[in-house]
Amino acid sequence: MASIAAIKQLIDKLGAEKVVAEKEDLLTLGYDSTPGLLHLPEVAVYPTTVADVQTVLGIARDEGMPVVPRGSGTGLSGGSVPHQGGVVLCLNRMNRILEIDEENLTATCEPGVITLDLFEAVADKGLFYPPDPGSQKISTLAGNVMENAGGLRGLKYGVTRDYVMALEAVLIDGSVVQTGGKSVKDVAGYAFKDLLCGSEGTLGIITGITLKLIPPPQTKTTMLAYFDAMPRAGEAVAKIIADKIIPSTLEIMDNATINCVEDYAGIGLPRQMAALLLIEVDGHPAVVAEEAAAVEKVLRSVGAAEFKVARDADEAASLAAARRTALSALARVSPTTLLEDATVPRSRLADTFAEIERLGEKFRLKVGTFGHAGDGNIHPTVLCDERDADEMERAHAFYHELYEKVLAWGGTVSGEHGIGIAKKDYLAKQIGPAGVAVMRRIKQSFDPQGLLNPGKIIAD
Amino acid sequence: MADKTKKQGNFAPGDAPTYESVLQCMRCGFCLPTCPTFVLTGRERSSPRGRVALARAVHEENLDFTEALKQESFFCLDCRACTTACPSGVKAGEVMEVCRSQSHQVFPGGHLSKSFRNFILKRMLPDPDLLEAGMLPARLYQRLGIQWLVRHSHILKLGPDWMDKAEGMLPKLDAPLRGQLPEMTPAKGEKRGRVAFFLGCVMTLLYPDVSRQTVRVLAGQGFDVVTPAQAKCCGAPHMSEGDRETTRELAKFNIDLFLSQDVDYIVTDCAGCGASLKEYEELLAEEEDHARLELFRSKVRDVNEFLSEVGLRTEELQEVKVSVTYHEPCHLCHAQNVSAQPRQLIRSIPGVEFREMKESSWCCGSAATWGLKFSEESQQVLDRKLANVAATDADYLVTTNPGCHLQLAWGLKQADMPQPVIHLMELLGRATPD
Repeated sequence: MASIAAIKQLIDKLGAEKVVAEKEDLLTLGYDSTPGLLHLPEVAVYPTTVADVQTVLGIARDEGMPVVPRGSGTGLSGGSVPHQGGVVLCLNRMNRILEIDEENLTATCEPGVITLDLFEAVADKGLFYPPDPGSQKISTLAGNVMENAGGLRGLKYGVTRDYVMALEAVLIDGSVVQTGGKSVKDVAGYAFKDLLCGSEGTLGIITGITLKLIPPPQTKTTMLAYFDAMPRAGEAVAKIIADKIIPSTLEIMDNATINCVEDYAGIGLPRQMAALLLIEVDGHPAVVAEEAAAVEKVLRSVGAAEFKVARDADEAASLAAARRTALSALARVSPTTLLEDATVPRSRLADTFAEIERLGEKFRLKVGTFGHAGDGNIHPTVLCDERDADEMERAHAFYHELYEKVLAWGGTVSGEHGIGIAKKDYLAKQIGPAGVAVMRRIKQSFDPQGLLNPGKIIAD
Repeated sequence: MADKTKKQGNFAPGDAPTYESVLQCMRCGFCLPTCPTFVLTGRERSSPRGRVALARAVHEENLDFTEALKQESFFCLDCRACTTACPSGVKAGEVMEVCRSQSHQVFPGGHLSKSFRNFILKRMLPDPDLLEAGMLPARLYQRLGIQWLVRHSHILKLGPDWMDKAEGMLPKLDAPLRGQLPEMTPAKGEKRGRVAFFLGCVMTLLYPDVSRQTVRVLAGQGFDVVTPAQAKCCGAPHMSEGDRETTRELAKFNIDLFLSQDVDYIVTDCAGCGASLKEYEELLAEEEDHARLELFRSKVRDVNEFLSEVGLRTEELQEVKVSVTYHEPCHLCHAQNVSAQPRQLIRSIPGVEFREMKESSWCCGSAATWGLKFSEESQQVLDRKLANVAATDADYLVTTNPGCHLQLAWGLKQADMPQPVIHLMELLGRATPD
């Protein structure tokens, strides 16, 4: 609990303009993008320097006050929700890109830099920062690192972790650790930066990030295919990969999503189709031509019902329109949109879709599914109404049964959204008691008082 | 629109945001980077998602309708950029507009801003000579939304130095256009139809030459143009200040008036009026005959939307050798979803070189009286716009809304930038032969 004294100390040491405690502020800092979560902090601060962060942690330590870091609040598992109160540390004003190093191909940033701002800043210099989570227009880099965010380019280019070269973090004792650097190779000691990636603010507060940049692909080709049966779409995905082609985008939408998009946007999608695949290959023009031809061959061999190749950028944009509109179309159907991120080995993709369909019927729910087929990472989205308690219960039962199957198939309870509050119990099932125990020991050694984002990731 | 019998949490009786309208927010945050006030402050409560969350908290009785929420409802520019960005169809700007009307219920009283009234009355009227010449009969002025603002601005809190700014913004005033325009301007060339022209208050008072061009262009494009002299204010200023009842009265009057005209379309050259006319249907949904509302709505067009829809006759257009860039009025692109059409028109004018600016749909910071209430913030929003204009190095800055026109012209002058601001109909007017 934040005492009045703690708030006074924060104001004294940081200045009133960096500290807010009005109810209207607290109400709007008590959620992220996870449905159904709202817990008010007692105070929120907007640090602008590393010293500010140290000051806040010092006061928190003395007062025994929980500290919850927050970027833009677009997480999907409750990572930045202050469910035990305390202070929310809003890092969005620390938003400077400090350096773009064109010799070492790195960018060094403050934690609150917006993902897309970095993408555009490096693109101006002819460089490429691939991770592109769905919220990239507003998500912060530290938020991406803390949740180890993915995106549409994950299959070929990897996720946020794959681009983190160095981190600076303030620990609860006030010390600042630097881990990693600009060296391409670095095997010195424990890989703290890898431990910090995806740690959701439970181990330390990120105050600096150095990211790897790469040269952008020279060209790309966009293709769209429809299938009249889901297993055929699953087969297409598996065969493309088995043919040793790694597309930069390999996205899927099911029949329910196709119909929602058509209801909303009316762009002439064939409503009877079971699935749609959006495929992009990128790289050197010769390679792109060769890979596009190979993809086309696979699609014919598995019996895609329809197949289009974009001839130019405009046509590519129109082929991608359906996928781009998927979330909007689904979200308009009902007041509440539950978006999950079950992930399975690719070979289980068609099984997973079949299971989603079966469970949707069993629990009488409207479910649309889309996602990153190439990663086996899909978003079964339940369209419901949070005022309907019975429906919400059925929705939770749906996900519960689905995750049991996903785990049985060797999948994971989170491909890219993180664990936060929402999936602690699922994680415990996935990694077992031994896994939870070692996580707890790690947490203990970084944060013995349990003040940094308490109650996240690790099941109680 | 609220169902008046329904429980509305901690909202006062009367107009309140519906629970459904706030429940629909899934808090994805896609609105945040599009919101000028969030970008300025970085403060969640000054974002669309935050404002909707506050309205929801009032509904759920977790929050009273507080002074801070009132402030947020007026700090919102109502630019509707968040509506365009929202995947799930939440209209945060409209939610705040309704909250403004709650402000009147929850915080009644207040008093007229005398300096504001005096300013309008003394400075916004044309020369006494013109008055004497009977160019602005008092009864005409009474219908204007501007006068309403003067009389009813209980909670209109103006920012520091607003008067200097307002004075600097005013263009050189000419005789108002209303009363000068003929009731019917006949089509030229092959006739294509008959339209009613909705002449807005700000247009007739501050930009008579623009609307004169609009009528000329419409006639030149083959349309008989009927301009009903009795038309009243569209209601946008009242709506913007939270007086929904007066807006409804004006809406009913205008619907009656325009539906009694024998016209195919109702066309306006003011984006603010267009957005307002198109919202009559929703505003009156519970009081008026649905078929009539639908008929009215089906006829309303922004002039750019209209000309693009019927197809611009370009054979006779004269060459205009200038380079232009285009600023999208929020009430055109976000509120009416008219974005491609003005560009199409610009590109159709022979000789014109079109230069797209960055962030063309980012608000200019005018937003009705927002620019006078929050003059510092408005300047910051404007500076961002001006930098994007400067980067195009175009000869002219084209827009299609008087609020933007005032703010941009003032901003460009302050910044010593060379571009004149012109309405798209003025540009098209230059290309239209006599």
